[in-house]
Amino acid sequence: MADKMKKAKFGSLQLDVEDVISWSELTNADFAPASSQEKENFIQDRESVSFWKDAGRRFRKNTVAMVALVILILVALFAFLGPVIVPYGYDQFIAGSENLHPWHYTLEDQEKLAAAQMTPEEAWAKAQEEAAAQGKTLGPVDKAKIMAAAKASGGADTDELRKELGIRARLFGYSNAELQRKAAGESVFPHVFGTDKFGRDIMVRVMIGTRVSMVVGLSAALLVLVIGALYGSISGYLGGKVDAVMQRIVEIIYSIPEVLVILLIATVIGDALTSYVNSHSGFIADMANVLGANLISMFIAFGLLYWVTMSRIIRGQILQLKQQEYVTAARALGASGPRIIKKHLLPNCIGQIVVTTCLQIPSAIFLESFLSFLGVGVSTPMTSLGSMASEALGGMTTYPYRLLFPALILSIMILSFNLVGDGLRDALDPKLKK
Amino acid sequence: MAKYVLKRVLMALFTIFLVATLTFFLMKAVPGNPFVSEKTPPQSVLDALNEKYGLDQPLSVQYFKYMSNLLRGDLGVSVKMQKNYPVISIIKEMFPVSAKIGAFALLWAVLVGVPLGCLAAYNRGTATDSTLRVVCTVGISMPSFVVASLLLIVFCGGVVGWFPSIFDGSPRSYVLPCFSLGFYPMCYIARQSRAAMLDAINQEYIKTARAKGLKTGKIIFKHALRNALIPVLTYLGPQVAFTLCGGFVVEKVFTIGGLGRYFVQSVSNRDYPVIMGTTIFLASFIIIMNLLVDILYKVVDPRITLGKES
Repeated sequence: MADKMKKAKFGSLQLDVEDVISWSELTNADFAPASSQEKENFIQDRESVSFWKDAGRRFRKNTVAMVALVILILVALFAFLGPVIVPYGYDQFIAGSENLHPWHYTLEDQEKLAAAQMTPEEAWAKAQEEAAAQGKTLGPVDKAKIMAAAKASGGADTDELRKELGIRARLFGYSNAELQRKAAGESVFPHVFGTDKFGRDIMVRVMIGTRVSMVVGLSAALLVLVIGALYGSISGYLGGKVDAVMQRIVEIIYSIPEVLVILLIATVIGDALTSYVNSHSGFIADMANVLGANLISMFIAFGLLYWVTMSRIIRGQILQLKQQEYVTAARALGASGPRIIKKHLLPNCIGQIVVTTCLQIPSAIFLESFLSFLGVGVSTPMTSLGSMASEALGGMTTYPYRLLFPALILSIMILSFNLVGDGLRDALDPKLKK
Repeated sequence: MAKYVLKRVLMALFTIFLVATLTFFLMKAVPGNPFVSEKTPPQSVLDALNEKYGLDQPLSVQYFKYMSNLLRGDLGVSVKMQKNYPVISIIKEMFPVSAKIGAFALLWAVLVGVPLGCLAAYNRGTATDSTLRVVCTVGISMPSFVVASLLLIVFCGGVVGWFPSIFDGSPRSYVLPCFSLGFYPMCYIARQSRAAMLDAINQEYIKTARAKGLKTGKIIFKHALRNALIPVLTYLGPQVAFTLCGGFVVEKVFTIGGLGRYFVQSVSNRDYPVIMGTTIFLASFIIIMNLLVDILYKVVDPRITLGKES
């Protein structure tokens, strides 16, 4: 500071830098502790918004998706907590409770109805009276006709009689024996959805079926995710000839009609597994026995054929991402291919991965119910929504609700998964929104 | 163009070959002799069958024999459902029924789905749009057996008895199966064409057309729709497959004597030659349909460079 540099010569165009240099000189005041006011300036006004927080906020704003999410949680509770609460087993034959409707008439009402109903003899007597009033007599043929009519017309007549007597159906199904036990002060759990022809509680079966559908959907989606992500990222990252060959394979698998092949695989592997389970013992055989041969073959089919879409999406993403500077930087630092894929590429297409996985769930549920409906899905005594609907086809006009309940739950579940998936897509990738 | 077509045809042939091979080895994986059921056929029949398919020979020989039989159109004979009846004859009898229903279903799906999609796109953000969107989202969330059985409950005696519940080939009995089979594709097509239409409407040439004073109808149908139809067309190829497979369910619900129902019955009866033959036949049909749509797609849209992946 003391020996100042010479001023520039007069007329020189050289800049006079003395003042500028002195700007960056530190004085003692610069080393004084910061005042509290200055400190406050460094405190963040609000937390920085991370990617997930941002997405979460967008998702919560989406009313439709939120409602769908709540419905999904309710359905999951119904499927996983429900069977704990209901005291009936899904494969339990409740003797005396066969073919119950999801409604019942109280015992008093039933007595009232029986008293009001005409027996065939009464109908005959009434007809005779009417005939006598008109001056006619009725022969034995007429008698047989009238008595048969009175016997047969039970259904229609009963409905009208019930209306006349003011008897109303009460909610939930009870058999007469259960009604008597209830009258005696016992607490009897109602058959909310009625029972089937073997006396199995339909609600418990729907719960278990929903559980099967959900588990199948989630695990199939995870399976697809793992295989698709691996295949797609390797193909996209390596590029060149490897990519070309891998993409040919994808194209071929893509053009195989998967439903047909899955039906085929489900049948064949199902048979092979069944005979394996029957002839072997040990861990694998036990596992296969628990899961059921058809379910396993369904997963195998999924693992073989359904990862194609996922791998295509991830490959596309990786092809874009691998041009980024940070990938070049990582490679320059000597990171290996697997590490770059794992640490840099996959985390950066997590949005796409989550959305595709979520939209994979309903398609897996679709497929499972389709196979079960056709009779190659889950094996008895396990049940599923599709197989319940298939069983209900027989008595559809008399017991339509046996089909309605599983069909309704299935549709609601698929719809909710679709809506949540759409909501996630909008939240994670707003650019895609149309 | 020729190169592209040739490449696609070769690939389709390879895929068919792959499916046939897969089918063959899957059938080999089945424990026991595929011709033996609970009721074992007489030894002479068994011997004839074994000889015909060379079951006593090594696997490679069997494979070539099977493939050459296949090339001559010999798909084997049914062993359980219609004993010793050739599978190819079964297919010839049953496939037209399924194809007819499938064709009607796809036809109404396209004829209704595309205009609905255009309507929704043109009235974007209005009540019409949101109603259609709700309907279509619900539509693609309902498995075809749900739609079919609900229709059956409502229209075949449950509420009103307008249609026969069992398919008898009369025009009236076609209504419900075709409707339920086409419902899912209709919703899907409507969604697709809405998105495609929105894309098309926002293009510059539409603005130009409007600035020139063209009428709305002409803009939509003459300028926008043509371009909007292209993505819908790509979807139609795989849809043929879906409609056929959805046919399994619909034919089961309405007891239609088509190939789909027969296939499902053969699956549950474990009639392996029928399963095998039908799978190969249907798979080839679907693959060829996909191929046609793929080629058509490139013909319709000249912007796409042929022979290259976009």
